[in-house]
Amino acid sequence: MNDPFKDDELAGIREALRQALPPVEQPELRRDLWPDMLRRLEQPPFRVPWFDWALLALTAAALAFFPALIPALVYHL
Amino acid sequence: MNKHPLLRAYLAGIAVPTAFLMVVAIVFTYVRYVSDVPLPIERVIVFPMAFVPNLWGLWNVLYVSIFSQRHISLGLLGALLPLLLAPMGVTVAHFLHFPIPQQIPPLAPIGLPIGMVLYYLAWKYLVGFFNTELGIG
Repeated sequence: MNDPFKDDELAGIREALRQALPPVEQPELRRDLWPDMLRRLEQPPFRVPWFDWALLALTAAALAFFPALIPALVYHL
Repeated sequence: MNKHPLLRAYLAGIAVPTAFLMVVAIVFTYVRYVSDVPLPIERVIVFPMAFVPNLWGLWNVLYVSIFSQRHISLGLLGALLPLLLAPMGVTVAHFLHFPIPQQIPPLAPIGLPIGMVLYYLAWKYLVGFFNTELGIG
């Protein structure tokens, strides 16, 4: 059995909530995002060339041999 | 995203050294106050805190406004920055009466190419990434 007072109260709460929360709008996007997505999908996978790895290894080796350089490099970074 | 490309270039340029600054500050604080190294690092901390990030930002602005249209590599341009920063750093240290440890100057001929290589890699990959993300790559 429904309680009429409770129903009224629920209806009041429902109405108050409806007024407090405006309906969600779905505005149109300014532009189509799909071409950007396609462009990104078509990009070749990120690859680091071997000479960059070689440079990094050379630098790491040089810093291991001359650790006194590390603070000087940190100062300039 | 086609507004203010130079402002975006500046922001992309300062992003890397600004993030790295936290590491620099931790290392310097540790060295100075925990390891008690008798070097007044706080005198010259202004250089990595203020000069370096701003110069990175301006260098990237220079790249976007002039060199990117001439198809000059970002990594290559970044590698040239230590040629400007190194003498500036030494000058700042000199003016602020910072005693440069004696073992550093003889290592400069090795340190400069190492710095240039590190800058080449940082600019090619890190600044290049930020430039691409901000639509100015």
